[in-house]
Amino acid sequence: MNFLKKMALPMFVFLVFAFLYLPIIVLIVFSCNKIAFPYRWAGFSLEWYRELLESTEIWHAVKNSLIVALSAVFLSLTMGLTFIFYTARTKYEKVIPFFYGNLVFPEIILAVSLLALFTFFAIPTGLLALIAAHTVLAFGFVVPILAARFQELDYSIIEASLDLGASLNQTFIRIVIPLLLPALVAAGLLVFVISFDDFLLAFFCAGTSAQTLPLYIFALIRTGISPVINALSTLLLVVSSVGVLIFCSLKSKIRIF
Amino acid sequence: MNNSSFFKAVPALLWQFLFFYIPLLFVVVLSFTDGTTSGFTLKNYALLFDSVYGSIVLRSLILAFLTATLCLLIGYPLAYFIALKKRSLKNVFLFFIILPFWTNLLVLTYAWFFILDRDGLLNSLLMNIGVINEPLALINNFFAIMIVMFYCYLPFMIMPLFSVLEKFDLNLIEASKDLGANQWQTLWNVIIPITMPGIKAGFLLVFVPAFGEFVIPLLVGGDKYMFVGTLISHYFLIGQNKFAGSAFTVLSSCVLFVVVFFVSIFVQKLFPSHREIRETEL
Repeated sequence: MNFLKKMALPMFVFLVFAFLYLPIIVLIVFSCNKIAFPYRWAGFSLEWYRELLESTEIWHAVKNSLIVALSAVFLSLTMGLTFIFYTARTKYEKVIPFFYGNLVFPEIILAVSLLALFTFFAIPTGLLALIAAHTVLAFGFVVPILAARFQELDYSIIEASLDLGASLNQTFIRIVIPLLLPALVAAGLLVFVISFDDFLLAFFCAGTSAQTLPLYIFALIRTGISPVINALSTLLLVVSSVGVLIFCSLKSKIRIF
Repeated sequence: MNNSSFFKAVPALLWQFLFFYIPLLFVVVLSFTDGTTSGFTLKNYALLFDSVYGSIVLRSLILAFLTATLCLLIGYPLAYFIALKKRSLKNVFLFFIILPFWTNLLVLTYAWFFILDRDGLLNSLLMNIGVINEPLALINNFFAIMIVMFYCYLPFMIMPLFSVLEKFDLNLIEASKDLGANQWQTLWNVIIPITMPGIKAGFLLVFVPAFGEFVIPLLVGGDKYMFVGTLISHYFLIGQNKFAGSAFTVLSSCVLFVVVFFVSIFVQKLFPSHREIRETEL
């Protein structure tokens, strides 16, 4: 009885992990399946990976997604960092909570609001509009993470730098950025993933011309099951695990959640 | 820092206003117009006084509530288990929790097709072992939506729970036991109140996006059920009636915030002492 009690929680955890990974394992296994349908193992084949590599549409979508994600990372980090540096611990500190709404607002509402605004002012939807939207979404993560980290910094280091004759800009570049680097990298990775995987904002703001990877996957799923998606997902999973490894190693240094 | 450097903080603020607050405000303004007359009208809201809309909002609330509750009930013991592990093992567990969260949501949803579909793995397994004779309808229903919602939102619940549980002082459990509390009393009176900030954060992080969820019902719900997210997208993309759509968007977000507000007050009432406990802990 005692043994059972002790094993209850580990067993439970095992079941939850099985539940979490079963679909992912199935996804990977069926990416190497010979036939597309039905869901039955018919032998090993790399056919779908070949098809994936040869598809120009997919790589075009990947390119678009990369452009959007990298731009969102760059814009949100540069603007977010300067914003935090020049407002945190000053009398302007009260404006920081302006950015906290981004996280608690349902994304679909932001998406349709942007769409309504863009169409009303005849701003063309597309990659640029999507970058604008993703940068806003990214602020919701970047600003709180950097603000929290900045509050934890030993402020006397910054004061020492200023006392020793460094200008505010020099202090910013040579003291604050290196100190915040782990937080910047972690926030950047998080923003990249969120932007790269985002379907909702893209669905509303990317228009018909710009195809991002999630939009492409959505179209594929709606038309029916194709193991090319499995092959693509498997590749993406490998890439994400590298990202998560870096992220986890940084997470011990900074507190993200 | 002097006043003149404040302008360097302006780009972020400007961006935030241009692409967050102004669009939201714009939708509020749209909801009070009808596109033909230039004046203020409540027509769009009047149209919403129909039980159809009420039931859609209610259905979304139920979905969000069930998802968040399920994630909490499963996520809490899991986060507790991981938080008590040794550092190296903890990182391994965390890695495997975060990985699905970093995987495309569409891909995860799609993965469930293989399991839940009519000819999917679960049905063939059940038929092979003779539990059922006919394949069960596992997809395109509320059940499938719930499974996939839970699956996709679980990491959002675990992360905030984990970060409060990690800081939890285990001596408090000992103290509680020494003072004569049984396991459930310790859980209810000590562990849960102290970890309440994480529970609240996790619940909010799941409840709010789940209320507006649009992709999962679309893909695995089989177009059977209308949710808030689905209806909003219909208004703006298919129906192109952005005035009525705006009114519905505004009203449903008001409902959402009122519900969140009252739930947090209720939780505060249920665990009134958590703040005092935290203060004495410090």
